[in-house]
Amino acid sequence: MDFSVITNNLSYFLLGAWPHGPLGGAALTLVLSVCSALASGVLGLVFGVALAMTHGAAHQALVLFLGFFRAIPVLMLIFWTYFLLPIVFGFNVPGVGTVIVALSLIGGSYLAHSVYAGIRSLPPGQWQAAAALGLGRVQALRYVILPQALPIMLPSFLNQWIALIKDSSLAYVIGVGELSFVATQVSNREMVYPTEIFLFVALLYFLICSSLELGAGAIARRYGTAAKPT
Amino acid sequence: MLDELLAPKYVGWLIDGFYVTLLLSALASAAATALGLLLCLARLAPTRWIAWPALAWLSLFRNTPLLVQLFFWYFGFSALLPQEVVVWLNAPHHWHLAFFGVRWPPFEYLAGFVGLTLFTAAFIAEEFRAGVRGVPAGQTVAARALGLRPWQVWRHVVIPQALRISLPPLLGQYMNAVKNSSLTMAIGLAELSYASRQVETETFKTFQAFGIATLLYIGTVAVIELAGQWLQRRNPTVGAAAR
Repeated sequence: MDFSVITNNLSYFLLGAWPHGPLGGAALTLVLSVCSALASGVLGLVFGVALAMTHGAAHQALVLFLGFFRAIPVLMLIFWTYFLLPIVFGFNVPGVGTVIVALSLIGGSYLAHSVYAGIRSLPPGQWQAAAALGLGRVQALRYVILPQALPIMLPSFLNQWIALIKDSSLAYVIGVGELSFVATQVSNREMVYPTEIFLFVALLYFLICSSLELGAGAIARRYGTAAKPT
Repeated sequence: MLDELLAPKYVGWLIDGFYVTLLLSALASAAATALGLLLCLARLAPTRWIAWPALAWLSLFRNTPLLVQLFFWYFGFSALLPQEVVVWLNAPHHWHLAFFGVRWPPFEYLAGFVGLTLFTAAFIAEEFRAGVRGVPAGQTVAARALGLRPWQVWRHVVIPQALRISLPPLLGQYMNAVKNSSLTMAIGLAELSYASRQVETETFKTFQAFGIATLLYIGTVAVIELAGQWLQRRNPTVGAAAR
């Protein structure tokens, strides 16, 4: 094993061509992950609340809609967004944006069910007590239900975000220069050290994901809810 | 864009890809279930000399992307092997087992199978562990009181119940295996996503190519989902924690 290939290309692995070119490597992986984590969190909350507030046909339609994103591979959704976004918006969407949209939709549809489950886990007396105090359904949700439900959901949010970091590697297929893409680039250029390169890249992902996992575990212990592996 | 159908030749490519997807995910799921059970037992072993390496193994495979793992097996691992082994692995081989001729698969199939199996096994092991935790401690104590040896307790009391509890999440992992098998296209395995991309490049009928592939994925996942519901209806103890 010869790890000089890592030290020679370290800045390329971590930052891509930046500051002389576009940001890439591990930094771009973090940017992709943080953006889609935020967007998927918002989507998850909105759809989760919608699941909790709808009944009958509207509820079923929403379940089917979210089920679609959970049933198809992330890769297929990236293909779809890559193809459809320019048609929908009428201009070329950069690869980074495409990946963020795809990851947020997938993450959001998984999180919607966690949010829904969190809201449902509270005793119905909470809603009734809020109604008795004169709060409307939206107010009850805002001031009574969500403040109690969100800490319960936090571990599933963190687990979903760990999954997002790993899924961001799929940006590779549409040529976005994040960590996995940069790894194959260096591997193809150097030709001789694929083992060292992919071990190092795996280690980087491992450090990012396992630190989040430790955080999720600590939060789960603090709030007394078990973190479910995703 | 929508009114043109794909020529039969291209539909054939997609069907071939779908067949590879089904075969790869079925084989990897079966192997991952066996390996996942072993990993779960190792993780729960009373001696830390077994439990801690198992923990490290699980956390390593769960916390790195499948894509990077596939690249490692395809590019990285083969570079570690002696030259003769690599040549042998890449060369075609034929065996005759009873009535079947067995053909040695190309290297990307091997790497895809190993990568998908090891990744899935790490997740299945955790589902089994949750299942074992769902078996009440009284069951073990009672079995010991009946004079069963520790391995007999596992074999006859804990594992059967844990399997039943963890069946629904297990099916979820099989669905993930089907979806995750799409990543093997990155190492050149001609499965469904690879085929859809190929048809798209060849015909420019993006909507049809991706549409058919998407429907095939959704159909497969739906079949697994329905199988799970059917099992649970037929046998209500499936998925339920023992009392």
